Amino acid sequence: MIGQIGRIVSTVILVAVSFVVTSLVLWVSGYSVTDVLSGTVQGALTATGAFTSTIRWAIPLFLIALGVMVAFRAGFFNIGGQGQFYVGACAALAMALWWRTGPALLVIAVSVVAAAAAGAAWSLIPGWLRVRFGTDEVLTTLMMSFIGTLLLQYLTGGPMRNPEGTGTTASTERIPDAFRLTDSSGVSFRLLAIVAVTAVVIWLLMERTRFGLSVELAGRNPLMARWQGLNVSRVGLAAFAVSGGLAGFAGAMEVFGPAGRLVTGFSPTVGFDAIVVVMVGLLSVSGMALSAVFFGGLQAAILFLPIVTDVPPPALVFLNGMVALLVTARFRSRRRRSAPESVAPEPEAGEQEA
Amino acid sequence: MEQFLATTLRAAAPLILVALAGVFAFRAGMFHLGLEGLMITGAFTTVAVGHATGSVWLGILAAIGACLVLSLLFWWVIGPLRANIFIAGLGLTSLGLGGTAFALTAVFDTRGTFFTEAVLPRPISGVNEGWGVILSESSLLVWLTPLFALAAWVVLRRSRFGLQLAAVGEYPFAARSAGVNPSRMRLWALLIAGALCALGGAELSVGALNNFTENMTAGRGFIAFVAVIFGAWHPLGAAAAGLFFGLADAIGTQSQINVTESIPREFVLMIPYILTIVAVWMGGLLRRRQMEASAGYAELREPDD
Repeated sequence: MIGQIGRIVSTVILVAVSFVVTSLVLWVSGYSVTDVLSGTVQGALTATGAFTSTIRWAIPLFLIALGVMVAFRAGFFNIGGQGQFYVGACAALAMALWWRTGPALLVIAVSVVAAAAAGAAWSLIPGWLRVRFGTDEVLTTLMMSFIGTLLLQYLTGGPMRNPEGTGTTASTERIPDAFRLTDSSGVSFRLLAIVAVTAVVIWLLMERTRFGLSVELAGRNPLMARWQGLNVSRVGLAAFAVSGGLAGFAGAMEVFGPAGRLVTGFSPTVGFDAIVVVMVGLLSVSGMALSAVFFGGLQAAILFLPIVTDVPPPALVFLNGMVALLVTARFRSRRRRSAPESVAPEPEAGEQEA
Repeated sequence: MEQFLATTLRAAAPLILVALAGVFAFRAGMFHLGLEGLMITGAFTTVAVGHATGSVWLGILAAIGACLVLSLLFWWVIGPLRANIFIAGLGLTSLGLGGTAFALTAVFDTRGTFFTEAVLPRPISGVNEGWGVILSESSLLVWLTPLFALAAWVVLRRSRFGLQLAAVGEYPFAARSAGVNPSRMRLWALLIAGALCALGGAELSVGALNNFTENMTAGRGFIAFVAVIFGAWHPLGAAAAGLFFGLADAIGTQSQINVTESIPREFVLMIPYILTIVAVWMGGLLRRRQMEASAGYAELREPDD
């Protein structure tokens, strides 16, 4: 417990340090730091519709982060959330457009299953290579992510392109309004309920079921798990499937929620930001919900800043990078070997796999 | 045809320079996902300082300096602070992309693109026919890229330093027993990588073009990282892979114009990634033992401190 509190404190300190460094950069560049801070707070919290926007951006981050967390606990580093998110979104949209006359509830259900299946398939390719041949999953999930991005580009620019679309960015047709879970603000009671149920299910799955325990065991010590009679490969594959499935599900929620269609290269960094969300959230569901809201707020503020100040919004991308750079850093005082480690695997788990 | 080869060379040169950077990091046992961030920092700093001083050489020098500072920061975070190398690398990339886009507005008060007069010299230009076209209009850095690849090969495979670096990457515990300081060697590797990324970025902004554009690297840092793996982390292998990916890029550019009907451009651009998955898979089969040795590196880090 003490270890967990220490970790929370050190994470908060590192995020604060990133804020300070970014403020210094702004100050040196001659911008008013208070303007930026107040603009960020307004854009994320206080302005009209700002908090809605924060939640809108937090939802995909949180859903993808849940998936990254599952793989991480199984000892795998799935950094391909971006591609899994895209193929999920494509599958959901294709389904919804293909069966546009169907009953809304059924179409949504089928599309969501298709999206999760597509995301799972996208992550099972690296997953299978990993458990069967020991092929490094960091590289392969990253490659699959780039392939997924290109696939989205191809689909939105080619077969699924809206012929009546105007403008320079390729996009698809909109899905029928009856299928939408939210309006374009991206937040509604229905969507929030779905996300909350998903979070509870994943929490129960990881903390209260045999599967969760197997994942944990296989992630911490595969050799011992095997000696205990656990089929480590199967558990690993399942973890990859759940991981990619959640990212695909996030893609479907984007389509049925705020987007309503696909635009080439939408949310280009959400999959990578989700990894940072997992790290800042210390691999716990509640922590990740908080950190997703935090990073969702940053995203909302990036879009809002130009309205109130002349500070270039990429300053917040810089801040985001600073947090990612520092968030997994650990300090000497907490590295005593006698102290037992708490439940979550160390962030280095992935590095050891490399 | 000559024109096509010229496009290939120009697309490949920055990839090769950055891939060589990745090779240095990889040899020392590090997956460097921050290459993209360093590359864009190099591209921006060259343009900014080159424009301010009027000398592209001062610009490149400043770019190298900026990338060295960032590499030092990266080393400090993943070394002494023991941060996760993948997440820190991705963080370095956002830091570079966000920082340069921010600085573009902060310094030049423009969004999007900034043009500069200070560009790299082009040894041959104005040739319109024959084989001369291939190297015509190519910047000095394109000409020098093969030399960098050869130099990297000599340093990594034929020098004491390179062998120590490989020892650190493959078996740091043994390296330490032999009196090599793994932490310091990793720092050197990252610094060399930083300088090479600066050159790669400079070639992109003032070699092939004459401007800096927000997010102009467009994933080239990651492609270069892929080239490292695809080239089996050998300097010449990585250079060959960089050349090949430059070719894929050139085909992609061309098919945009001619053959869009037969093969969509996106599928051509997927080739490097698919090949890399295959290469990592096959390489993993062949080099399983070696991978196990390098995986042991993290466990063996404990006696380090």
